[in-house]
Amino acid sequence: MRKNLLVSSMLAFALTITFGTAEPAMAQQAKPIRIGVNTAIQVQVGRDAIDAVKMAIDEINGQGGVLGRKLEITVADEGEAATEGPKVGIAAVNKLTSDEHVDVLIGGYDSGVTLAELPHIARAKTIFLGIGSASPSIQQKVKDDYERYKYIFRVNPINSAKQAKALLNFITGKLKDDLGYTKVSILGENAKWVQDMVPAIKKGAEAAGLQVPIAEFFDVQTADFSPIFAKVKSSGSQYLIVIISHAASDVFVKQWYDAKVPVPIGGIDVKSMDANFFKRVGGKSIAEVSANFVLRAPLTPKTIPWWDKFVSLYKRAPVYTAPGAYDAVYIYADAVKRAGTTKADAVIKELEKTDYIGTRGRVQFDALHEVKDGPGFVNELFVQWQKNGERVVIWPKELANGKMINPPWLAQK
Amino acid sequence: MGILKVDRLAVLLASAALATAPLLFDNTYAIGVLTVALCFGMWSASWDFMSGLTGRENFGHSLFIGAGAYTAGFLNVQFGLSPWWSLAAAPVCAVLFSLVIGIPTLRLKGPYFALAMLSGAAVMQNLTIIFSKYTGGQDGLNGLDPMLDSPLAYYYLVLIFLIVSTIILKVVANSTWGTILRAIRGDEASCQACGINVNFYKIASLMISAAFAGLGGALYAHYQLQVGPDLFAIVLSINIIIMVYVGGLGSIYGPVGGAILLNVLTESLRAFSEYRLWVYTLVLIFILFFMPQGLIAPLWRRIRSFVA
Amino acid sequence: MVQILVYGAVISAIYAMLAVGFTLIFGVARILNLAHGSFYALGAYGVYTFTAVAHLPLWLASVLAVLFVAVFGMAMERVLVRPLRRSMLAVLLITLAVALMVEQVLLLVFGSEARNVPSMVNATYHFAGVDISAQRLLALLGGILILTGLWLFMQRTRLGSAILAISQDAEAAQYMGIPSDRIYSIVMGLSAGIAAAAGVLVAPFQTVIPGMGLLPLVKAFAIVVVGGLGSIPGSIVGALLLGYTETIIAFKISIEWSQIVSVAAVLITLILRPAGFFGKRAAF
Repeated sequence: MRKNLLVSSMLAFALTITFGTAEPAMAQQAKPIRIGVNTAIQVQVGRDAIDAVKMAIDEINGQGGVLGRKLEITVADEGEAATEGPKVGIAAVNKLTSDEHVDVLIGGYDSGVTLAELPHIARAKTIFLGIGSASPSIQQKVKDDYERYKYIFRVNPINSAKQAKALLNFITGKLKDDLGYTKVSILGENAKWVQDMVPAIKKGAEAAGLQVPIAEFFDVQTADFSPIFAKVKSSGSQYLIVIISHAASDVFVKQWYDAKVPVPIGGIDVKSMDANFFKRVGGKSIAEVSANFVLRAPLTPKTIPWWDKFVSLYKRAPVYTAPGAYDAVYIYADAVKRAGTTKADAVIKELEKTDYIGTRGRVQFDALHEVKDGPGFVNELFVQWQKNGERVVIWPKELANGKMINPPWLAQK
Repeated sequence: MGILKVDRLAVLLASAALATAPLLFDNTYAIGVLTVALCFGMWSASWDFMSGLTGRENFGHSLFIGAGAYTAGFLNVQFGLSPWWSLAAAPVCAVLFSLVIGIPTLRLKGPYFALAMLSGAAVMQNLTIIFSKYTGGQDGLNGLDPMLDSPLAYYYLVLIFLIVSTIILKVVANSTWGTILRAIRGDEASCQACGINVNFYKIASLMISAAFAGLGGALYAHYQLQVGPDLFAIVLSINIIIMVYVGGLGSIYGPVGGAILLNVLTESLRAFSEYRLWVYTLVLIFILFFMPQGLIAPLWRRIRSFVA
Repeated sequence: MVQILVYGAVISAIYAMLAVGFTLIFGVARILNLAHGSFYALGAYGVYTFTAVAHLPLWLASVLAVLFVAVFGMAMERVLVRPLRRSMLAVLLITLAVALMVEQVLLLVFGSEARNVPSMVNATYHFAGVDISAQRLLALLGGILILTGLWLFMQRTRLGSAILAISQDAEAAQYMGIPSDRIYSIVMGLSAGIAAAAGVLVAPFQTVIPGMGLLPLVKAFAIVVVGGLGSIPGSIVGALLLGYTETIIAFKISIEWSQIVSVAAVLITLILRPAGFFGKRAAF
């Protein structure tokens, strides 16, 4: 018995020595380029970001890698911002930069966590390509202190201030000019970026001649929206603009449908960007309009092939962080190729010159390292859920491919 | 060796261990995790001083933490003062908060007191989010300056504060003060009958608890370089209570050990990826179920009885 | 206004169901059960699983969900709580740990995205300016029925009397031959079942996410303390107060302020009336 044990442990030891040390020997020939992904891994947006990065890495490695080196992914969980705060996110970026020595960070989801991570990322002098946080304050740091924060880029989404402009555009262009509405109310969750956005939208709408009887905020954990629906209805509003990201818009939409509120809803609803949102709420999001960054539509020649490949690989439709994460890997890889090195300063110079046709549009960065928006670049589409879960682009006019409908309990136009 | 000498030796050994720990890893990540653990140590020790001794469980300790942290945030970000001012201002602000919530709740006991403190912290959390124009709302205040440029040096600074705080709290807990606080836990009416001004001791212990918690909050703010409403959250208060419990209620030093243990544990479970919190909770249930007296303090007492 | 009256009633009924179970287990067994929110969440997820995964009819799924959670509650009491009964803080923390565990398991099994539970009834009613779904009215009705049933049970049955006896004086009850341990289990099962029933009734129109139990737990805790620990009428009064305060504030001022006002109201009530409304004891 003892002899067997001795022999088997010696054998195991020998095997470990052989295979355990073989890898480093091979890797010494070409050290991989390590991509660190910091995101909330327990949430859909996190998982899709990781999968999109993996997809891009496999493709690039299949074509020979970058500068003869393979790309490698390593993931660090940012935790759940709501319960753990930014603490876990900061530990995540510290781990990726100082413990695992990644060459670049791709990630981000909650703006509060990303903002908290920035000084730590900057101190580690590592490039960060944001693919989920929308707060303008993040990229503002690039302007305020370029030398310290030049590492920070945002590939996706368009920042919330620009989203607000796009939303205002939708309100004045579609609701007022097209449909002739005069009274529109606004409801937003009390996240910082929404609190900043709503007064600006209200002012802009009023300047255009609309009345905004109600502009209110609600706590992320609000479970009952009946009071607000009743108030909006009594105010005579003809449309309710909603701005929801972390809160449960599933419940908001279901309660709206169940009460057959005679006021159509639309705006920015992050959960409604999901391809399976309609099914998830049992079809009750019909006629809801929500801003979206990507759907299975030919925004660029790459969009549909990318979408289909993602679905076939991962058996689910991608959420909004996925296209940005995928593009970010390519954008970084291209910048490294042009710079001829992974050294941050050189790559930053090349990143600033990025001109890349991605899955959502053409990606270029402005002086704040923000992804540019506007015709020809990355745009925000306003998409409506219609019968059977079909998604129809109803704004901007140039990209619209259908008419806007009313919820089934209101007269159709 | 007499009991006291053993304790002093233990403090020296523990301090030495904590001082050398970051040198073993020498990367910002590990140093960061340990710095956060030390802050939690301060919060746990300060909670134990009041609640562990008097038995008045404070479910709103985060009120003082948030007060200290946001003071640091405001002074540094809004008024541009040097971070060192926070060390003085944060405890003062936390003590003020403790007076505001502590005086009206003096006559509350048990779950009533717990709920009142919890509500106090929840009110502050809601206010910070509603008045986002001044407080930065959900995202909080960003861009605090670090007190020292080197994370390692800052770790040692926090460690010194932690050791000194724990010693002070332990000395007071072992003195007549501590005896009176424990007596209040036993039978308040008798204490009053003996002529002890029970209300004074209740409020004073809350103020001391708040001061150290606020100080910890400021130190944490200048590590994290950001303060947010999550520092007022119920979850934070409850996590601290768990750490105290794992460490050993009423021992002051036990909670410090519990805080360090649980913080390091949460991070070291990263290998389990999405199962991280599940494993952590499992370990927690294990400890809570099989070691109802805690882990750290009973362990130390066992060791001490062999040595002394 | 009719709107406030009706919406407030629905919310109060749900709060009452949560609070009553919480105060019941405290009044009888002196257990501050921080896993109470988990029972609520498990009720909702239970009905989701039985309908969406097992494809059972809705009414059967609801009944099974409630029964499952009641058994879960009893098992938790038997295995984890009973050995630790000597220390209140230990019991508190172990139930907390169970709550955390349940949330993690739900997250791992069902994911973080909200789940959809179909409504039991699909109509919408419009009257006196009120737009309300039939499901909400059903929740209100269900709450009233369950609470009435509980009251009848406590007042009219032998088991109910036994429970009341133990809550008044555990030792004396034991001398009278009432098996306290078994009663604790039953009461826990009852408490869990009522919470689960609340979860089942609201699942169609509330967010079904793994963390859905935390806020209801805090509210139940607040209501119970304000109403008086261990007092069922106190919990109902407390639930009505909280529910209506929230609704009135949401209507008259803003939804944003309704949360903070209710928390502040709890604080003020405690300062003014330390034992709650109907509390007999002012301490543990």
